[in-house]
Amino acid sequence: MKLRLRLALTAVAVTVPTAFALVQVEHSVRRRTTDEVIAESTLAQMQSGGRERCEAAPDTWMVRTRSPRPPWEHDGGGPGEPPSGPGNGGPPRDSPGGKGPFRGRMPPVQLFPFDSQFVSRNAQAPALDDDLREGVRTDGVGVRRYSKEDGAFVQDLLLRMPWEGGPCEYVLARRVEPSNSPEVGLPPLNIWGVPTLILLSAMVVALGPVVQRLRRLTEEVRASSGSHYQQPVTVQGDDEIAELARAFQEAREEIQAQMAHQVAREQTLRDFLANTTHDVMTPLTVLQGHLAAMQQRLRTGESLEPGLVNSAMGEAHYMASLVHNLGAAARLEAGAPQVQHAPVDLNALVSRVLGRHQPIARPRRIALESGVPATTTWVMGDETLLEQAVSNVVLNGIRYGREDGHVAVVLETTRQQTFHLRVIDDGPGIPDDERSRLLERRFRGNAARTRAPQGQGLGLHIVHNVVELHGWTLALAPSDYGGLEVGFTGPLMTPPD
Amino acid sequence: MGDRILLVEDDEPLGSQIVGHLRGAGFDPVWWREGRLLVAGELPDVSLVVLDLMLPGTYGLDMLKALRTFSEVPVLILSARNDTLDKVRALKLGADDYMTKPFWPEELVERVRARLRRPTLQKEQAVVEVGPLRIDLQGHAVQVRGRPVELTRVEFGLLAALARRPQEAVTRQWLVEHVLDPEREGTERTLDVHVSRLRRKLAPVKCVETVWGVGYRLVPGEDA
Repeated sequence: MKLRLRLALTAVAVTVPTAFALVQVEHSVRRRTTDEVIAESTLAQMQSGGRERCEAAPDTWMVRTRSPRPPWEHDGGGPGEPPSGPGNGGPPRDSPGGKGPFRGRMPPVQLFPFDSQFVSRNAQAPALDDDLREGVRTDGVGVRRYSKEDGAFVQDLLLRMPWEGGPCEYVLARRVEPSNSPEVGLPPLNIWGVPTLILLSAMVVALGPVVQRLRRLTEEVRASSGSHYQQPVTVQGDDEIAELARAFQEAREEIQAQMAHQVAREQTLRDFLANTTHDVMTPLTVLQGHLAAMQQRLRTGESLEPGLVNSAMGEAHYMASLVHNLGAAARLEAGAPQVQHAPVDLNALVSRVLGRHQPIARPRRIALESGVPATTTWVMGDETLLEQAVSNVVLNGIRYGREDGHVAVVLETTRQQTFHLRVIDDGPGIPDDERSRLLERRFRGNAARTRAPQGQGLGLHIVHNVVELHGWTLALAPSDYGGLEVGFTGPLMTPPD
Repeated sequence: MGDRILLVEDDEPLGSQIVGHLRGAGFDPVWWREGRLLVAGELPDVSLVVLDLMLPGTYGLDMLKALRTFSEVPVLILSARNDTLDKVRALKLGADDYMTKPFWPEELVERVRARLRRPTLQKEQAVVEVGPLRIDLQGHAVQVRGRPVELTRVEFGLLAALARRPQEAVTRQWLVEHVLDPEREGTERTLDVHVSRLRRKLAPVKCVETVWGVGYRLVPGEDA
């Protein structure tokens, strides 16, 4: 339902019952006042000679008086006439007296005498029912009754006269109003219709700008959503509609931020996939080449070179490490919820890392050594990520190490409840300036790994991020043996048991 | 035949490869191609279980959980997923070790061996025998092929520290901190001097091995 229609209907629904109720109240008040006026005038009439006339001829005495005027009615046309609706087009009154709702329509009052037994000598007198009799006896002064007779409204007042005995001890004042009297129900249309109409039109007119602004806001919101929330909406003024526009504006900004975030994530994912494919395909191609060469030699009966087999193994090993790194990178990028925080046995971790790389180090004649404390070294962290970090450093040492070289992992604890894990090699090492750049560089995103040869960048990127994630420190330094020494330092945890 | 090992692996090529390598390493593998919810008495008499976590029918972790209700047999988990949560869960449920795929056969065999020999290493012995060496840790006495050798306090401490963890490298820093006299100048250089003196006294048996980058290790060395 449209706003205007709804408002108009609401106004009508509120106005009509209210007007009706007010009329009812007014009507009831008036009736009571009329009763009092009739009672008083009847008494006055009876005392000023009425009694004598009645008692003289109780059979025929019956007075038809002009109805006394209630106090609120004045002479027609006089000053202080209550205002009535302007432009009054109501039906013409048959009364010559005035234009008020009750004026001139006051029907005459008939008086009938009754004796103490409530019997009237007058044949025209209406019968009295028990309620009236009982009522007047109990009340002692008078009682009223409203009834309907042949569709007409009858107002009876049975009054006790201030004397005892006689045929005129009680007087019944009866007033009959024709059935078409509009006393009950709505007041005439001209009274309430015009103000209501004015009110309604005022509301509808006042609502105009509001509706217009709402329509404009709706259009703007539609246009904004159509433009992927690029287009803003106008915020005008300081009222509820402006508040609505402001709320939408905020929602729009939130949606835009979310969309931008989503787009960025998708871009990262696409880059990641593209780089991953590239990174995996290269060693796979080398491996295929090695396998093809081996097959070729087998076919021609040549002996297999150990170097070829070792190289093939190396490629497969590197691919496995790469896939592990990609998994680690994905988890690191997903952030904290993906990272476990549990006790990790560093002794076992070192042993696993060495075990993993031993089959590759041996054919390259690189000795893998390790030294760990006699008791288990517990730290808190993500086992997979930590193992991958240490593994990357060890694998780098093997891959770039020279023949008959060494890679050693040394794990030590201090009295200050920290651990120190060093990976030492006697390989070519990293020049000073390069090394400081490696640590200074923030290893951002995927760019880092493609820059360095053979994915070394990704490995270090993961080492750096894992160490950072755990709040440890990472140090790159030249080793005492001419190669590189990579140090991890962090806090120990109290044993889980 | 060596120790019996139960392998629970659903993948046919991987399973047969592992069986082949275990057999080649001198073990006696039993291969189950699917997981079962074990109850007491159903487990064959094996020294170790190699369990793949991703199994059809019964999830490996459930099988481990059921197994642990009645058996303390060492369990080595194989996991394709590089997921820490799985490992942490498996270790909590009583797994002894895990391996992430892919792995080299050598790596697996080495890990199985390490797991099987672990219990004997845990006892603290009063007398350690490594090759021709006999070290009485309580009596502070050392014999080489039955011949007593006189050692200084530091030299004996050095040898005893290595003897408590035979075949394992002990770091130089640890030895400096725990064996050398803290009152005197305790540096790694001093340690090297003590080691070379110790080696001379134990000669011709060469059992104190230098571990590159780490420290020293006691091996059942024979004379050169």
